[in-house]
Amino acid sequence: MEEAELVEYFRAQIREDPDVASAVAAIQSLLEFLKRDQSETILGLRENMTKAIHRLEETDSSVAVSSGGELFLRFISLTSLEHPDLSQCRNVMIERGELFLKKISLSRGKVGKLCHTFIKDGAKILTHSSSRVVLKVLENAAADNKRFTVYVTESQPDSAGELMAQKLRKLNIPVTVVLDAAVGYIMEKVDLVIVGAEGVVESGGVINKIGTYQMAVCSKAHNKPFYVVAESFKFVRLYPLNQQDVPDRFKYKADILKSVKDLNQEHPMIDYTPPSLITLLFTDLGVLTPSAVSDELIKLYL
Amino acid sequence: MPGADKEIDLSERIESFLSELKRCGSGAGSLRGSAETARETTALLRKITAQARWGNAGELMEIIRKEGRRMTAAQPSETTVGNMVRRVLKIIREEYARSRGSSEETDQQESLHKLLTSGGSSEDNFRQHFAHLKANVIEAINELLTELEGTTDNISMQALEHIHSNEVIMTIGRSRTVEAFLKDAARKRKFHVIVAECAPFCQGHEMATSLCKEDIETTVIPDAAIFAVMSRVNKVIIGTQTVLANGGLRAVNGTHTLALAAKHHSTPLIVCAPMFKLSPQFPNEEDTFHKFVSPHEVLPFTEGEILSKVNAHCPVFDYVPPELITLFISNIGGNAPSYIYRLMSELYHPEDHEL
Repeated sequence: MEEAELVEYFRAQIREDPDVASAVAAIQSLLEFLKRDQSETILGLRENMTKAIHRLEETDSSVAVSSGGELFLRFISLTSLEHPDLSQCRNVMIERGELFLKKISLSRGKVGKLCHTFIKDGAKILTHSSSRVVLKVLENAAADNKRFTVYVTESQPDSAGELMAQKLRKLNIPVTVVLDAAVGYIMEKVDLVIVGAEGVVESGGVINKIGTYQMAVCSKAHNKPFYVVAESFKFVRLYPLNQQDVPDRFKYKADILKSVKDLNQEHPMIDYTPPSLITLLFTDLGVLTPSAVSDELIKLYL
Repeated sequence: MPGADKEIDLSERIESFLSELKRCGSGAGSLRGSAETARETTALLRKITAQARWGNAGELMEIIRKEGRRMTAAQPSETTVGNMVRRVLKIIREEYARSRGSSEETDQQESLHKLLTSGGSSEDNFRQHFAHLKANVIEAINELLTELEGTTDNISMQALEHIHSNEVIMTIGRSRTVEAFLKDAARKRKFHVIVAECAPFCQGHEMATSLCKEDIETTVIPDAAIFAVMSRVNKVIIGTQTVLANGGLRAVNGTHTLALAAKHHSTPLIVCAPMFKLSPQFPNEEDTFHKFVSPHEVLPFTEGEILSKVNAHCPVFDYVPPELITLFISNIGGNAPSYIYRLMSELYHPEDHEL
């Protein structure tokens, strides 16, 4: 399978189902690549796979695609360790890959079911930008006949908050859009903050749309719980100590990285929220405290 | 018929246990300590395993789960009952896995690794019959009972590491675990204890009397004086009713005040809690979290005139967030609050969190 075909397949996945997580689409495309791959050795397979992942990361530079790709690579390594013979290995891989894909498409539902019990009747919730997982959580809570109101930040520069507000209005949830700068102002009114995540890092912190860190600091100052909802395939092997440590390839869109000379003039799209500001993480592996995240990653990568 | 007799006997035992649970909840504090409740629950579960009719592990788990739900519904604030039920369920799962010969004990938990490597159905509905399962489960429950009996001693053995001579220790109310802890340290060291009386039930008074009998210098202070005295205190050692899944506590009312005062003065807060108090609940579940008893201790009924004009409450428990706690001392050693999630995953299976 050529790299252009791969990118086209990836884009097609996202076009067909705009609700699908980009990591799931990436893994699906990689599985398709695996099926059509012609290499004779496992090493060759790994090399092709690594190239394919890089190509996908160039198309969509989000953290989620990167974590999905790394997970898939790990999946190949683990399976190839058990079955050294390539053809047998490939069949096992394809079978397990389909199963894995099926499981992770259900992750969002699991997270939604887990989190909505934390939303009490009459709660005022603050969220940031547009997250499909947060939407699922709020959908589940509304289906449970809970009454709550939502404040969404506008989330410039792409006004993703407006999109979120529209989706919430369709669910008959009262929603107010606030300016990004109004987070400190609105914090005293809200009861809890729920945000999604593009990536969950090893320390238990999260990488999310720019403005999340600000919201976390404000909620800490006002003693409000700050919850993060994320599926487990977003766990990524990074350990940033501050905002500068987050690699540039995640901060800026792929085309900007290629075309612009001076990155200092560009606005980053994401920021890093340290684990000390996060109360709990809701994942399909259960409700985790930030210290439990590194345990999960160790179990996988060791 | 002997079979039917046994069954009637069993259901009678369960009913009497349930009614005792309901009754002791309405008193001030607990008429029986958590350790006794845990022991009785486990003994009852062992009896159910021995005498109830079941063919395979799945049926046994269903029976235990059903009885467990009834028991927790009888007294929701007594979390040790639910915890013991979950421990026994985990024991059954482990024994079943061992009988099947699979070494999947560590694979019980959901993890990314398991997601990636599992091939085919991991749906295990525990339907296989094993002849020795009953004996194995009962033996494991007996081990659990032995562990329960040794918890207070295990905790007290660690006292000398934490209490040094001429220290001033503060505690609140009456905790049998802390009492044993302090008494064990008093055998070799000389220190002072300040007990906050913990109104309105004033269990602190009984604690002070009991400590005095062992020649420990004790002072009783009213709850309002906690902050004032805190600057002179070296350590705060408390017990708790429950340890929650996020590392927070559900303890007797007044503990949050004590914890905040300790944080303000940077005094370490040590919680002595045996493992059976660890519960997979999170602190948001409003309906089961708070418990109120009759407010006549707060505002006696004799004050008839005021009664119609004010609302009086008498909450029994307090929530203490994990950031205020320094160390948990349990029968398996000392742990930080951020490590509680790990201990929980070892004790309970995630599917049993909701009984």
